[in-house]
Amino acid sequence: MKIDHTVPLEYSTEENRIKIVGFWIFLGAEIMLFATLFASYFTLVERTGSGPAGSDIFDITPVLIETIVLLTSSFTIGLGIHAMRIGKLMAMLSFFAVTLALGAGFLGVEIYEFLHYIHVGAGLQTSAFTAILLTTLGTHGAHVTFGLFWGIMIVWQIKKRGLTPENANKSFIFSLYWHFLDVVWIFIFSFIYLKGMM
Amino acid sequence: MDYFDRFAVPHPSFGIYASMVAIALTVIGIIVGITYYKKWGYLWREWLTTVDHKRIGIMYLISALLMLFRGGVDAILMRAQLAVPENTLLDAQHYNEIFTTHGIVMIIFMAMPFIMAFMNVVVPLQIGARDVAFPRLNALSFWLFFMGAMLLNISFVIGGSPDAGWSSYFPLASNEFSESVGTNYYMFALQISGLGTLMTGINFITTILKMRAPGMTLMKMPMFTWSALVTNIIIVFAFPVLTVALLMGSMDRLFATNFFTTSNGGMDMLWANLFWVWGHPEVYILVLPAFGIYSEVISTFARRNLYGYKSMVASMVIISLLSFLVWTHHFFTMGQGALTNSIFSITTMAIAVPTGIKIFNWLFTLWRGKIVFTVPMLYSLGFIPIFTIGGVTGVMLGLSAADYQYHNTMFLVAHFHLVIIPGVVFAMLAGLTYYWPKMFGFMLNERIGKWAFWFISISTCVAFFPMFLSGLDGQARRMYTYSEATGFGFWNMVSFIGAMGLAVGFALIVYNVYYSARYASREIGSDPWDARSLEWATHNPVPAYNFAIVPHVASTEAFWDSKKKGHVLFPGDYAKIHMPNNSGVPFVMSSIFFVWGFSFVFGMWIPVILTTIGIFACMAHRSWEEDHGHYLSVEEIERTEEQLRGA
Amino acid sequence: MNELFPLKQVMGFVVSLVLTVVALLVYFLDMTFARGIAILLITAFLQAGLQLVVFMHAGETEDKGAIYTNIYYGLIIALVTIFGTLLCMIWGYE
Repeated sequence: MKIDHTVPLEYSTEENRIKIVGFWIFLGAEIMLFATLFASYFTLVERTGSGPAGSDIFDITPVLIETIVLLTSSFTIGLGIHAMRIGKLMAMLSFFAVTLALGAGFLGVEIYEFLHYIHVGAGLQTSAFTAILLTTLGTHGAHVTFGLFWGIMIVWQIKKRGLTPENANKSFIFSLYWHFLDVVWIFIFSFIYLKGMM
Repeated sequence: MDYFDRFAVPHPSFGIYASMVAIALTVIGIIVGITYYKKWGYLWREWLTTVDHKRIGIMYLISALLMLFRGGVDAILMRAQLAVPENTLLDAQHYNEIFTTHGIVMIIFMAMPFIMAFMNVVVPLQIGARDVAFPRLNALSFWLFFMGAMLLNISFVIGGSPDAGWSSYFPLASNEFSESVGTNYYMFALQISGLGTLMTGINFITTILKMRAPGMTLMKMPMFTWSALVTNIIIVFAFPVLTVALLMGSMDRLFATNFFTTSNGGMDMLWANLFWVWGHPEVYILVLPAFGIYSEVISTFARRNLYGYKSMVASMVIISLLSFLVWTHHFFTMGQGALTNSIFSITTMAIAVPTGIKIFNWLFTLWRGKIVFTVPMLYSLGFIPIFTIGGVTGVMLGLSAADYQYHNTMFLVAHFHLVIIPGVVFAMLAGLTYYWPKMFGFMLNERIGKWAFWFISISTCVAFFPMFLSGLDGQARRMYTYSEATGFGFWNMVSFIGAMGLAVGFALIVYNVYYSARYASREIGSDPWDARSLEWATHNPVPAYNFAIVPHVASTEAFWDSKKKGHVLFPGDYAKIHMPNNSGVPFVMSSIFFVWGFSFVFGMWIPVILTTIGIFACMAHRSWEEDHGHYLSVEEIERTEEQLRGA
Repeated sequence: MNELFPLKQVMGFVVSLVLTVVALLVYFLDMTFARGIAILLITAFLQAGLQLVVFMHAGETEDKGAIYTNIYYGLIIALVTIFGTLLCMIWGYE
């Protein structure tokens, strides 16, 4: 395998460069996945049937915590990649660990939020609005959950095998995924929560 | 309904029991045959675990031909039922199931794998690549598609087929009106094969963007590769919409949510909307690769370079954007206002412009060409007039005000069959004949092929033109019978005769494969058609590594230039070649997906959980696996090359 | 320590927090629907662009063109789908 030492490790082989482009195209598909959920959400947002509307059940505190936590985790994963590029392995792993911990914190708050919704009578089956709300949030949450397991695998593999071109590539791609989830959350925060509470 | 009743066939008839016996006998026959000839190892090593794009392409092709048979039988049954008024060959429920599976099988499980077959076989060869960007993912795509197809196909013997139309509109498709598990099959079969298609899309865009031979800029790519690129772009942005729609539909049916219900705020029209946001681009996903094949075939057999290369590319890019802007024309009658319908009417008309440009480019390529009337060329020439008739009736349907008259009549059925059959099926048959020597090392018999062509093209007109008339007279689609007083009987009988003619045509193609496999010469060289692009520059059969030396390209027709203008295609010496390793994981993972889908269909939650864990275990295995592929040494390459040159 | 916290990324983080605070104004202040949505649109898309350029390094390789084309194409189709759906299902529905 040809390794090009003039570029960061994650770009160092042709295979790695191809994987990064492929992942960007996957993110293009993810844009459409969430766009479809948003299109459905905006269509169904007023259709609350006999259930509650968004303004009845949204609460700013957990939403704000989730937002800050996820934004910070996006920042720390960026620092992790930077540390990887300047060859600071311990710093990189620490930033990854912080990121995953923040991701877990985000999920904890989201689970609490879901339980709260069900508690106040906004379950999955209540109305079209609650169904699309929980599905949209749930799809994002499922992505975060998947990311947590994925991130743990990567950290584990780096600890075991050291920083190889493959590992570095996986880490970089993981960071793209994580940033993308943050972008999706920004849209959820703005157009589901804030618009709903306005 | 009692739990175990769900597994039974909802309305057993002699035909269903006969098919059950036939399926059982076929499966036993295959298993006994493979065991008797001791081919299990061969099957596993060479096919089930392969990551070679050419073999995956051939597997797509075999699946497509099998599904063509299945969908064709459905079609014959429908035409036979409607051939005479008040016919009792099929009852209403059975007819509903048949037109539903006919649509799904033909679009998703016949046409899609057919284009995937050609993309797999041809694209890496045309761009001078050794394989696709992600060979392992490519195998996973195929097996996911295959398991999705199998899941749908077992529905008619276990639990009942989907019966709400291939578009499966809610509320008809809801639990309330479709009690059997048929629509669950629809949701999960499409979901699983759709995931495979999405992966193909990502894989081929990356391949085409990153793995072209040196010198092949985007504007020097052969036209089929261009069409594959544009098609895969549409796949990547259209299929997630289907994923979400199917997710919501599945939740409505399994978890009693209210997305598409008529109570608690549910909105049944949203399904139609999302379905067609995916469904219309899907039409172009099918037809653009077909256009690519026509471009290759027409320039090869007109012995001229393709007229208007740049406008061909530009019109495809425009079509890819416009294809996302027209979906509402599928439900003009659903109640949108005049403004909305007018907007989508205009975008629909607009899409005829780039399509028209392509038609004229083909005509100008033929102009003053030295036309050779081979079978692929006949299909390409037959395509132009028949497709144009299908296309202009599409413009009629696109007029939203007039559409109220045509909507859901046989006029519509005639329109889309006359677009899809010449647009897609003819192209697939042209491609099948054209690329057959590349895939199998011998040519199909031209004389039988021409007989098949004339049967198929004339029968297409005989089968579908009458529907324009009966449709304008008011015959609705999807009706399982009609009274004698309507006067539709004559036209439907003509259609039935056309359908039988189509059956004869396809039977001739099957006979042709048998005949040519037995008698055709294997001494055909690597370029039997005197073709123009890179896929013909390597040996027949193609070695696993495609090209011993990576080709260098200087024009859109690199191979033609090397033949006629002395362009050096393969400079330099042999070097060791990196090849991916085979893997059984894609097959295993897709098999787990099959069980996963089946468990969801019947709401068996423990297997659902177990298979979900299994799927993630396969992914974790992949993450930990250290697979760097293997190298072919220079000596090995030399040996293979000598052998192939000698043959 | 400083080399672990490059200025570009720290600034990116600060800006993203500021944008979040600006977006929160629509919750804490009383304003018309149009003005609120305008603020949310601006802050959300700025945030997304920020992530893309500063954190995701979208433009750092020779594949820049392909990556940006992919994102813009996705964005256009996404907006067409959302607004087209609203046009069919709500605004243009009679």
